[in-house]
Amino acid sequence: MSSDSKDEEMICALTADEYGELQRGLRRLPETMPPHALWNRIREQAEAEGLLQQPLMRKRSTWYAGVGLAAAALLATVMLQPTVDLEGVVVPQETQTNIVEPSNLQALMVQSRQLESDLRALPAEPRVARAGTVATISDIENRIAGIDYQLNDSEVQMTPGDREIFWRERVRLMNLLLQLRYAQAQRAAF
Amino acid sequence: MTDMSKFADIHLDPGIIKRAARGDVRAHEIIYRAFSAPVYSICLRFTKSPAQAEDLVQESFIEIMRSIAKFRGEAALGSWIRRIAVTKSLMFLRSAWTKRGQPLADGWDDVTSGEPASHGISSHPDDALDLDAALANLSDVSRTVVWLHDVEGYTHKEIAGLMGKTESFSKSQLSRAYQRLRPMLGVDKNIQTSGAAIGSY
Repeated sequence: MSSDSKDEEMICALTADEYGELQRGLRRLPETMPPHALWNRIREQAEAEGLLQQPLMRKRSTWYAGVGLAAAALLATVMLQPTVDLEGVVVPQETQTNIVEPSNLQALMVQSRQLESDLRALPAEPRVARAGTVATISDIENRIAGIDYQLNDSEVQMTPGDREIFWRERVRLMNLLLQLRYAQAQRAAF
Repeated sequence: MTDMSKFADIHLDPGIIKRAARGDVRAHEIIYRAFSAPVYSICLRFTKSPAQAEDLVQESFIEIMRSIAKFRGEAALGSWIRRIAVTKSLMFLRSAWTKRGQPLADGWDDVTSGEPASHGISSHPDDALDLDAALANLSDVSRTVVWLHDVEGYTHKEIAGLMGKTESFSKSQLSRAYQRLRPMLGVDKNIQTSGAAIGSY
């Protein structure tokens, strides 16, 4: 896809202003999340076709893992206030990774916490809302809960790179959720 | 013209791709979590049907699992995944067109115009609703061409190749789509009259 050759193409039927407006509009269109259960369907099919390796069972016998978790929990108690999202779901304990992982991961965690704070600052969800909006919000919250589950599962051993991806996805979803809740609050105000 | 695609913004550690190539389920899940939204969005945008879009997402990620061992990293992973999703979506559309007994022709607008805009994308900030609805009311072909050209950054030549048509076909579809979208663009008339038209082919 060369943008050079695209520059030579003509944009017919629109003025420059209209074309600019269209581009801005397209840029503003949000992404849509697939249903939460879709990954399970894909995984089942992939396993049935032999495309995936079965994960090895991991032993949890090392004493230092317990010590590490205890230390992380203590640090979390000292450093972090518990946070609860709009639905009353406990938001992930932003714990172990604070200690050992790179600064961009730390930045994602801070950003995530800020977004949660922004969400809490919005008015409560309206009692009457568009069904589609409610469904989408619910879907996003489910996705966030799924990420939180994995981030907090002590059985899961992630590399720092994996963890960063999950946190980045969490921030992205939180942003999306905030946009939707903000739009919802605006509609309710009028 | 810039590539506004969300695919370009997603970067994964090469180690994850290597693990995925070995069939590591966690690595595949990470890829899925990273790309599922843009893949689903593009499938939904093309098909307008959440159920069909879900099937296409499933097909796309299964294809990714089958083929990722052959991915050499010459292009970005996002571009490669997008190509798979676009190809799957177009295959579906072609199949749907074939089932309906209609060739993929310039006159497709006449067949599909007036279809309702029920495409499953029902919750957006208000400022996006009009454009979303207007896009949904375009024919399948026109909407696909607009999306590929203006959002994903494909050239007319590439679109023509994907659709098995000529560049002129892609351009004329884009032109028709713009004509239909024009009334809702809401550009100030004073500005509009002073702005130069962008010409023709």
